[in-house]
This record gives sequence, structure tokens and C-alpha cells, in this order.
Amino acid sequence: MLSVLSLQLFRLQVAERQDLSEIARGNALRDIRVLPARGLVYDRNGTLMVHNTPTYTISLAPRYFDRTRIPLLAKHLDVPDSVITLRLQEAQDYNPYRLYPSFSNVSFAQYSRILEDVYLLPGVGWEIKQQRRYPTNARASHALGYIGEINREELNAIDYESDSSLYRQGDFRGRTGIEEGYEPWLRGIPGVARRWVNVYGLEIMSYAQGQGDQPPRGNYDLHLTLDHRVQEFAESLFVNKRGAVVALDPNDGGIIALVSKPDYPLESLNQGMQMEAWQALLNHHEDPLYNRATMNLMPPGSTWKPFMALLGLSEGLLEGTDETIYCPGYHPFGQGRFFRCLEAHGPQHVVEALKNSCNTFFFELARRMDLEVFKKYANRFGFGVESPTDLLEQTAGLIPDSAYFEQTGRYWGTVAIMNLGVGQGDMGVTPFQLARYAAALANGGTLYAPHMVSHLVQPETNERVELPNISDPIHLDLDPGHVNLVREGMRLVMEAGTARASQIPGIPSAGKTGTAQAPGNFTDHSVFIMFAPFDNPQIALAVQCENTGNGSLCAAPIASLLAEMYLKGEVPPSWQTDIRMGRALSATSELLTQAAE
Amino acid sequence: MRRWYRNLDISTLLIWIALCACGLVAIYSSTHGEAQEFLLTTVQNSFGRQRLWLMISTVALVTILSVPMRLLVRMVPWIYLATIGFLILALVIGREVGGARSWVYFGPIGFQSSELAKVGGLFMAAFVLASHRKEKSILPTAAIAAGALILPALLIILQNDLGTALVFVGLIPVLALCGGVPLRIVGLLILFPVAGYLTILSWPVALGFTVLVGIIAWYGTHSRSWVAAGVIASAMTIGVANFALQYVLQPHQVARIVSFSNPEADEYRANVGFHLVQSKAALGSGGWFGLGFRQGTQTQGRYIPEQSTDFVFSVIGEEWGFIGGILVLLLFAALMLRLLWLARAIDHPFGNLVVAGVAGIFLIHVCVNIGMVLGLLPVIGIPLPFLSYGGSALLTNTTLLGLALACYMRRAEFSLYV
Repeated sequence: MLSVLSLQLFRLQVAERQDLSEIARGNALRDIRVLPARGLVYDRNGTLMVHNTPTYTISLAPRYFDRTRIPLLAKHLDVPDSVITLRLQEAQDYNPYRLYPSFSNVSFAQYSRILEDVYLLPGVGWEIKQQRRYPTNARASHALGYIGEINREELNAIDYESDSSLYRQGDFRGRTGIEEGYEPWLRGIPGVARRWVNVYGLEIMSYAQGQGDQPPRGNYDLHLTLDHRVQEFAESLFVNKRGAVVALDPNDGGIIALVSKPDYPLESLNQGMQMEAWQALLNHHEDPLYNRATMNLMPPGSTWKPFMALLGLSEGLLEGTDETIYCPGYHPFGQGRFFRCLEAHGPQHVVEALKNSCNTFFFELARRMDLEVFKKYANRFGFGVESPTDLLEQTAGLIPDSAYFEQTGRYWGTVAIMNLGVGQGDMGVTPFQLARYAAALANGGTLYAPHMVSHLVQPETNERVELPNISDPIHLDLDPGHVNLVREGMRLVMEAGTARASQIPGIPSAGKTGTAQAPGNFTDHSVFIMFAPFDNPQIALAVQCENTGNGSLCAAPIASLLAEMYLKGEVPPSWQTDIRMGRALSATSELLTQAAE
Repeated sequence: MRRWYRNLDISTLLIWIALCACGLVAIYSSTHGEAQEFLLTTVQNSFGRQRLWLMISTVALVTILSVPMRLLVRMVPWIYLATIGFLILALVIGREVGGARSWVYFGPIGFQSSELAKVGGLFMAAFVLASHRKEKSILPTAAIAAGALILPALLIILQNDLGTALVFVGLIPVLALCGGVPLRIVGLLILFPVAGYLTILSWPVALGFTVLVGIIAWYGTHSRSWVAAGVIASAMTIGVANFALQYVLQPHQVARIVSFSNPEADEYRANVGFHLVQSKAALGSGGWFGLGFRQGTQTQGRYIPEQSTDFVFSVIGEEWGFIGGILVLLLFAALMLRLLWLARAIDHPFGNLVVAGVAGIFLIHVCVNIGMVLGLLPVIGIPLPFLSYGGSALLTNTTLLGLALACYMRRAEFSLYV
């Protein structure tokens, strides 16, 4: 009988070894994903803006937990015993054999105390997760974006054959901003760690001393064109205001600042959707999730005038570059009912008209223009079309043509078209488009693709990746003489015109104020475009402040202060600073609810 | 004068020590591996408790060796009565562990009454058979002896521990053979389980076996009535077993009985076949030399249920390989051969029967347990002597071994007192 047993033993252990050990391996081996640390984010000066900190989660597997250790665990976690009992019950209801994340976000001190006593605490597991942190004071909510847990539809949509990203339930992915746009770079490719697991699916140890493990790879740190000081300063200037700032490097389109107010602290969403925080943001009456910088449409107001001037000069609407148009304080068309000017400017040359923001001059230009040409020109300048950019959410805006008026059935006679000449009426542009346009004015007529990221660096290998241009720069082929006239007009705006109170001490600059009419009885929107320094522009900005009134009152001082901060690295105290700060901070957006009453 | 311990059989003791050591190593490995933290505290303490039980067992062994044979023989009826009483006590106040109501607790220490009953049962059966006088027919005496074994077996079935009860029944042919019951009757007794087993495997084979029984019976006895008895017994077993499998037993009971022949089948592998699939996988993953101490993936991952008790042999097979497994089998073979050798050296029938019975009990345990682990027999919950975790079993088996050694050591005393 014993020899029968020996034979069977031989059969199982030697003859059928291959098949049987396959079963054993299939049982005991589990490949565990190792996610790379999500890429860090630096600003243009190398200041860390986004990083990860570990959070500690303590899990319980009730079947293995020794209930006489409840007091010990309670002591380590600084909770009463009853809480542990409760959590054990929760975990028990889930699955008594599996680790259930019972205590999330425990402190490092608590975590280390538990780890020290782990031999006394069977059935207690731990997990370290990474949480996004934002160490600077700049929120940059819309530029950076938040991350969120992957949802069922997205998981279903993944093609696992070809996709190496290996998303699983519970993984995070970028939801907005660069977190979304650069998701594959930030996330990288998960590695594999082979583990022995026991019959209950709990991990025991690594397999074959880590042979066959694959380290995670392909995660990159982002280096932004953003300047966190400008961003932070801009956000601080926007107290009590709704609106947006976009600041670009006119020489390559790099986004120096991108502010949309109201915003929200990204920290509040950095652990995925916490329902209350999320609902609060969704239901907020001023919609902080809305990216005003790239999506908010409003008429450009008088910031449109440089465009009109270039249109007039290039299309020959003016008789030569030195034609003057007489301003009696209104445009004679329509008995001056609608077409008032700020004052009676008298004969206006294009430079003077820009400096004084003379409506009459631009009404006249618009009266002379063809609507289709206007549309074509505006589109060339990036209005009414989406911009090439690495920001994912934007609106194209509205530049009307005859088809638009026909389709919407709106009145479109000379009056409507003349209104377009001063940037009012049926048109909508975003701060983002205005900034790109300001940058083109600054650099003499080249449109770059605005972008957030300058380059990527792999943290382990220090491999540096330069991304290809999002699109080739678009040269507007403007006559340099025409551009110089417009630039000169904008310089005079700062020096002696409508924005003279917003000069940067010591740095000549150019700008244009704008006041966009708000529909209804609301206070007008304050709009401003600017670039500086005048001779060698390094920054171009567009600022929109909703319902704060005239462009010179709110948007101009903000733009000026930001340009100074960027160019000097600080805003030194001076009387000009006092005036600008005073105006910028005292302006408040009229509350929509208030105005409605 | 020869000192009493001069006759102590040292080689048996050495085998006993080796087997206990193998058991401790396997239990230590399965409870003190890297996966230790995932175990229940009670399981983690198995090794320590087994070590304690080994000390208790050693004390019991020494005690038995120092008791004079006269006293021991006189105590037999009382021991038997105590055994029966203990079994009934377990039925009344016992605690249920693993479905069997056979445990009696004295304070913190629990005794498994069905394990301890093996000593009393064997003693009584041997006592009855030994009292037989040569001039009379052996059969009535043998029947009484069988009854002495069947009574505790019935009580143990009431406790819902079929596996242990089978050991008592299995002891009947062993003692019968040694007690002088004719071979043909013993053969008839063995015929039932063999025919039943073959029926479960494949009934055509069982029918072939019936034919074989007839042929052997003819050549063995040259008696038509014996051939008829053998063939009818075999055919009846096949019929009854088939009938029971198809009409009497519940599907889950049938599954438990027949699944061992094909545990990988889809309908079995997750439930009744799980033990065997995992046990075979463990052995296969061990190969020639094993994965090494505390390195078995199946063992450390606790894929085999009851791995430190009934399935301890799979732990040895996985971590020490074919070499380790065959070594354990050889140790058992050596133990049983040695016990048979000791039995032959004793002239007195009582001692003779006790030693042979002890060897028989061990043989049944080893064959059924290892047969089960290797997937040759249905999963019947009986432990592997000296290796499986379990205090009562270790104490009982050591006591049995002690009795065998005592009978051999004090074989000269029999003629004086009995």
C-alpha cells in the first residue's frame, strides 16, 4: 500500500510536475501595477507649483484582525475603541477577508506608530497614495486643472490591447487644464511588481526577489511658461471681481499668467471628487469652474480700435496714412443719436484717434468697410476662430458676417456695422484671443500658438523633451509702417491718453482701454490690452473685468501692475503704484443679483 | 539482572522522534512564514501548542513505559469503560469543532474524545481476542472483539466524525488476521471497502474485481460456497454503493465522495474539489527537491485548507519535494515494519495483538491520509500520525506507540501475570 502511495507521489511530483506547478503559480502570482509618481509642475523660473505628497490609509481585514488589539489600534489612531469596532463592522460587511480602507488620510505620525506595531496587528494593512499639492500661493485653478477618478464610461472606452496607460478603477486622471492636456506625460506608464498572494488575495511578498518586475516609466515633469509671481499677483488683484487675465510672451506665445476669477483652490479637489466641495463649486452663482480666460465672450470695446486701424490702413479705407477725420463729438450718421463720441475731438489722425479713443473716427472706418472683409480680417487675427493652443477648453467667439445677421434675423444696417467699428454690438471675443492679438501688435504681426508648457523633463533620466510647436507662427503680413502707426497710437494711450494713469514707472509701454457694453442695465465691463516694454516687448496682456466700468479704471491698472511685476520681478513702491493699486483693488464687479433688484 | 529499559526498542523511539520533528518543521513552516501576519492568532500559535503537546505526550510515554504489565492488563476493562463514558460525555457536554461534537474541555485544554477512544478500543478488542481458548471456535470471540470496536465507532458516528469511526472499523480485519480468524473471513471483510472504492472509481472495474474475487476464492478455498460468498458480497457492495450514490445520498454528499477522482472538474474545483486541486498543485510545485523551508507558494499562501492538520503532507511535499515526501513515507514504512517485528517477538497474544493493532492503526491513518492528500481517496478528515497538528491525536498516537513499546519491553512479564 505504501508503494502505491509512493508511486502516486512520484507521479504528482515528478511526472505531472509541469501542469500542477502551473496551477500553483497561477494561484500565487499576481502582477501588481506600480504607478509612476505623477509628473511635477514647475513654472518658468523653476519654482515648484504642483507636487505630490503621500497620504496614508489604514485598512482592515476583519477576519484576521485580533479584536483584543482594538484598544491598541484605537490608541495609535487617536480614536475611541467604538470607532474601530464600527469600522470593523463596515469592513466585515464589505468582505471579511479583504483589506478595506477604513481610515484614510491618517497622519504620518499615526501611520508610523501603526507600522512599528504591525506585528501585533494582524489584519491591518496600509496604503500610501499620492495627493496633488500646490505649494505656491498662486491658485491657477483653470490653467493647472484638477484631477479626478476615472469613471466607468472612460474605463469601458479604453482599448487595453493598444493602450499602455493601464487605467484601472480608482485611478486618477487630469480633468481640466494641463492636468488633462498633458495626461499621458504626467501619468507615464505603470510598471509591474510580481507578488505572492495568499488564498484570500492578500499580498505576502515579492516574487523571486523582484525578478520580472518592471519599473514604472515615462512620467515627465512639466516646465511651464507660467510665472507664478505674476499669476499670484494677478489673482490677488482680483478681489471682489469677476474677470480674467491672459498674459503672453509675445515672442513665442508662452502663457505667463492665466487667471479666471472667481476660482477655487485646487486642493479642495485633489483627492478626487469630494461631493460637498464639488456641489458647492457647481452650484456657486458665479460659476468658479467656468474658465473665463478662454471661454468668456464679450465685445472687445475700444480695444478693438487698433484692429480697426490696421484694417483701415491695410484695406485702403483711409486715403493714405495721414487722412484725418473730423470729430464733432458724434458721428453725423443717424442724427448722432447712437454715435456719440467722448468729446468733440476735432480733426483726428489715426494715431490721435487711438490715443483719444475717438469713436467718430472708427465709426467712420466701419461705415466704409465691407462686412465680409471685416470678418475675414478678424478671423486672420484669431477672432471668431479657435486658437491653436495646449489648453483644451476655449470658445471660438463671434465675429458676425452677413450670413450671421441673415440667420439670426437681426437688424443689420449701417448702424449695426458702425457699432462693430468700436468693438460693440453683436460680437464676442475671449480674453485669450485679445491677449494673442495684443502679442501680435507687440511683435509686429505674428500670431503664436499660446501654450502653457515649455518643455518636459523625465525626473529619473533627466531626459528633456521639447514639444514641437502646436502650430507654425502665423504671419499677418502687415505693412510695418501701418503697424508702427498703431503701436505709436497705443504708446500715446499710455503716455497721454486714456490709460495715462496706468503707466509703468520707467518702462515705456503701449495699451488700449476698452469698455464693453453689458447687456441690460448692468455696469459696463472693463477691458484692457497692453504690451511692454514698447521697444522690445516681453509681455502682452489682456484683462477683462466684468461689470466694473470703464477700461481705464480697473483693467488698465491691473495689466500695468502685472507687466511691471513680470519685467521687474517686483512692484516697487511709488506714487504710480499707489494710484494703480488703489484703482485695481477698489474696483468691484457689480453683483449680478444686486443689479437685478 | 537486566534493567527494565534494556528492552526498550530504541530504533522505534528514533523513528518516532524523526516523525514528530518532521511534523513540527511542517507546522512551523506553515505558520511562521512570511504570511504569518495574515493568520489567525490561534493558528499562529499552533507550533507552540504542538510543542507543548509533544512534551505532554512524552510524559505520557514515559509513564506508560513505567507501568507494570500486570497493572496495565488489569486496567483494560476500566479503560474501556472510561473510553465509552468519555465518548458519551462528549456527546452530552462536548463542544463542536469543525462539525464534530467530540471535544471535551478541561479548562483551556480540549481533548478529542474520538482520538483517545482508539486506545481503549484497541485495548479491549485485543483483550477479548487474547482471552480466546484454542479449543473453541474463534468466531464468537472475534465477534465480541469486533463489537468492542463497533460500539465506540457508533458513538463517534453520532458525534458526526465519520473518518475517525472508519479507523475503528478498519481495525477489525487487522486484529482479526492477527487474532487467528481464518484468512478467508478476513478477506471477505476487506472485500467490502475495496469493492465500494472501485465502484466509486468505475463500476466496470468493480465488476472485473468481482470476477477476480471469484477466481481467487476458488484457488484459495476450493469451496463453491466461499466463491459464492465472495462474488455475492462484492456484487452486493457494488449494487448498494451504486444505489446509495444515485438514490439515497444528497447530491452534495455524492460530490464529496466521488469528486476525488476528478477534482479539477468545473463543478468541483471551487468547492468540494478545492482541497485536492490545491493539494496536488502544492505537490507538483514541489518537484524533486521542493521549494525550500518556508518557501512554498501554496503553503505560504494558505491555498490548501487544513494544511497544518489533515493536509500537512502537502506542506512537506511542496517545501521538501519528492525527496521529503518519500522520506516521510519511508519513516512510516520503517515504523510499521519495526512494529510488526516487535509483535512477532512477543509470545503472548495480548501483547502481540496490541502491537499489531497499533501498527494497523498507524497504517490505516497513513494510507487514508496520504491517499487523500495525493488524490487517491475521498477527502476523509483523519490526521497523519505524529505530523498533523492536533494535541489529542499526538497524545493518542504516542500513547499507542508507548503501549506497543511497553508490550515489547515487558514481554517477559506476560507469562507471569496474564
